[in-house]
Amino acid sequence: MQVYSTPKSIKKDSKFTFCPGCDHGLAIKLTAEVIDELNLREKTLAVASSGCSVFLYNFLDVDCIESPHGRAAAVATGAKRAFRAQNKDRFVFTYQGDGDFASIGLGESLHSALRGENISIICINNTNYGMTGGQMGPTSTIGQITTTSPLGRNKNYHGFPIKAAEHIALCEGTAFSARCTLYDIKNIINTKKQIKRAFDCQLKGLGFSFVEILSSCPTNWKLSPKDAHKKIENELSKIYPIGIFKDISND
Amino acid sequence: MSYIELDKNKCKSCYLCIDTCPKKLITKSSEIGSNGNYVVQFKDEKKECLGCAMCAMICPDIAITSVYKDE
Repeated sequence: MQVYSTPKSIKKDSKFTFCPGCDHGLAIKLTAEVIDELNLREKTLAVASSGCSVFLYNFLDVDCIESPHGRAAAVATGAKRAFRAQNKDRFVFTYQGDGDFASIGLGESLHSALRGENISIICINNTNYGMTGGQMGPTSTIGQITTTSPLGRNKNYHGFPIKAAEHIALCEGTAFSARCTLYDIKNIINTKKQIKRAFDCQLKGLGFSFVEILSSCPTNWKLSPKDAHKKIENELSKIYPIGIFKDISND
Repeated sequence: MSYIELDKNKCKSCYLCIDTCPKKLITKSSEIGSNGNYVVQFKDEKKECLGCAMCAMICPDIAITSVYKDE
């Protein structure tokens, strides 16, 4: 009996362009599995962003729009509203990195949460700008050495990292906000569950749903894939706690 | 008999599956993959594979394309 197969929403013969051991591949795979399970493939519009997530349209076999840097939430808002104006029932989600969501696009992201737009956002938090070479991002932790903070992030000079899931949970338009990670099997299963809950919130029309996925970046952290996962388990999950911060679907 | 199917063209040699397999059936091979590293191989001479699919779940590149479990 076949217990596992490649998700149908992943394009055949596509090969991920990510670095070896990068959790982006896992996140895209879980998203594809959820799209398959909820049978959304024919009515989904994915909005890709700039960053490592830029080639989403090469991997997912759904309709995709490429948005300007940071503006994925705004593009998704427009698309969802246009579909609603034509009485079309479409599922819209964005797939962004932390630099895209929480730095350059913070205004768009936060205000779509405040407006309670009926879209879903998946945000990959790998604590730096991965694609451009590991610069300090809004989520870099205090003391983290990056190419633009060679002496480590200094709280007096650079300030503190943003905790996106908690911030989004404070917005009144938010239906669901959670943070999860991918360093072991238990957490991978949990992440899939949270993505499914977030997508369910949109399908029920409850409002803005957000999943922040704490991921590894072995290349820019200069660690092996295994050690990068250990770093998430021992250090980062203490700074960025795993959990659900808001969920109105059960109320 | 449980077994997995591996696509060696997709393997990027991150070796996360080697640490995840509870029976240690996945090992480094001597074959060089597309990115210049040794790709993994699946060897199950004693028919120990459980079909747990944990290797497929943790593979970030979907190189483990399918898992079959013995009934």
